Amino acid sequence: MEKFLLIGVGNSGRADDGLGWLFLDEIKKRYPGIFITEYRYQLQVEDAELISHYDSVLFIDATQEKIPGGCALRPCESSGSFFYSSHLQSPEAIVYLSEELYGRTPVACTLHICGYEWELGEKPEKTALENLERALQLFHDTFFENAGPAIYKQKTEPVTL
Amino acid sequence: MSRTITIDPVTRVEGHGRVTIHLDEQGKVNESYFHIVEFRGFERFIQGHPYWQAPNLVQRLCGICPVSHHLAAAKAIDQIVGIDPENLSPLATKLRKLLHYAQIFQSHALHFFYLASPDLLFGMDAPPEKRNVVAVAAENRELAVQGITMRKFGQELIKALAGKKIHGTLAIPGGVYKTFKKKERDYFLSGDELPNIETMIEWSSAMVEFIKNYHIENRDFLDEFAAFPSGHLGTVKPDGALELYDGLLRAIGPEGTITLPDVDSDDYVQYFSEAVERWSYMKFPYLKNIGRKNGWNRVGPMARLNICDYIPTPLAEKARLEYFEFSGKTVINSTMYSHWARLIETLHCAEIINDLLHDPDILGEDDLVREGRHRQKGIGIIEAPRGTLTHHYEVDDKGMITRCNLIVSTTHNNDAMNEAVKWVANNVISKKEAITEGMLNQVEVAIRAYDPCLSCATQALGKMPLKAELYDHEGNLIQEIIKN
Repeated sequence: MEKFLLIGVGNSGRADDGLGWLFLDEIKKRYPGIFITEYRYQLQVEDAELISHYDSVLFIDATQEKIPGGCALRPCESSGSFFYSSHLQSPEAIVYLSEELYGRTPVACTLHICGYEWELGEKPEKTALENLERALQLFHDTFFENAGPAIYKQKTEPVTL
Repeated sequence: MSRTITIDPVTRVEGHGRVTIHLDEQGKVNESYFHIVEFRGFERFIQGHPYWQAPNLVQRLCGICPVSHHLAAAKAIDQIVGIDPENLSPLATKLRKLLHYAQIFQSHALHFFYLASPDLLFGMDAPPEKRNVVAVAAENRELAVQGITMRKFGQELIKALAGKKIHGTLAIPGGVYKTFKKKERDYFLSGDELPNIETMIEWSSAMVEFIKNYHIENRDFLDEFAAFPSGHLGTVKPDGALELYDGLLRAIGPEGTITLPDVDSDDYVQYFSEAVERWSYMKFPYLKNIGRKNGWNRVGPMARLNICDYIPTPLAEKARLEYFEFSGKTVINSTMYSHWARLIETLHCAEIINDLLHDPDILGEDDLVREGRHRQKGIGIIEAPRGTLTHHYEVDDKGMITRCNLIVSTTHNNDAMNEAVKWVANNVISKKEAITEGMLNQVEVAIRAYDPCLSCATQALGKMPLKAELYDHEGNLIQEIIKN
């Protein structure tokens, strides 16, 4: 069976920035024991080593981008781009490092969920929660109704509901 | 026409800072500043909370060194429940030390491999797109894998002890909440799933050799770059040995004269004061007996090696002796020696971790927590990766925190970093016809050597947009950049 990792990125103390973590919380409630989950404030270089042990990886993060339908599943291509900090590496850079350092390239995808509020606060706002529900539905449709992570291999365009 | 050069944000440091360099009409440097633009807040925010929450709340200051804040706060709160460091159980002390040394080990590995190595491997004039950890990974695979694995080793140890790699909990007032299981310990000794502690010592030794050779090859530059006299501060055991968890405060002047003679950390208020400047949120601590102008001290690896008499682990002590022999000095004031000192400390941490992992006391099951007669004040001082870290709490009769004072490691280095920026401005940038990106990177290299953690230093709270403003010589705003 494919080893499939879900990485939720964000901060549950900053309102909608916690959508990635809330997604994982819901996944664990709805599909107990099925998925391996990791929570991250930010992606860091060492996450390359982590994902090198998996066949497929899904990075879930909140976004300020305006996406029709409130969420989108996208293929995550390896890229050597970097951020100026020691942290906050992009999913693409993490995939790149996994490839370069460990010779493993998992099938990777990002699931972006639209958020609107980023200040201190524990609960995401209403529309963001609706987007979260749509993202969960999209994940369900992709994973259970279709071919699972393998579907990502076929996609070059964002998948939305 | 006078000009202002702004570097914003300063890269490959923890947190956000900004540098401005003001040139006169001839291109000579008039003034230079390292501004810390993050907002402080934790000292106030924590007031009104019960004392026992402090070790968990304050570690939220930072995602890089939460363990240091957790343990410094725990040491302070121990005193509030009537337990001084010597009265903590051996089990609790050793587990906390194991956590502490794992934190320094992983933090130093992060700094060297992720932040500093691009400058050393590719040179300061290398294109910016090359001066980053991704390029290091692409061109130096073995080094990158070692760096990542060393950081992982430290973080896995933190997770085993505190439950999580970031913002976990081990210390509680008067002790620890859990012990260490044999299976957990064996994970770090066996090497089956992760390279073991012996490999960490081997890799750390190799990195000390690497930096030593780098100094041999680049001696003139490294000796001179951002070299300036200053005091040095750290903690030592009563016999003068380097001590990172619980020691006496010692400070020396630039030539080695003792300026703070091995005093108990509880007395820090008698000896230190903190100044403020209008252009930075970060405070400027200094020794009262010397005064604001010359009483500031460098802290961190280079300072600690300067103030201690020896390192109490054999490989690191051998490396320390070679370090001073090479320098030809008894006190080193050259900024770039910080990297070498940091790697010697990394080796020291690996040796201490090895000793503790083999100590049967860490597998004990009894005597996790002790309690004494409650007090209304507690002070905890620890040597964090970046230097001396002070947590001071006072509580009311109900145990609610009424006062909190944090002197974070990076604030001690505030003056030093500003001096380093001035050195580069005067020696590299001043009077040059063209100012290159490589020259500006040297400003960052000077700051980066101190491994500043700017979020900690200002106890950052809230989302702070960066705002850079550029004025002409007549004071007119000509450019504004806002970065969220």
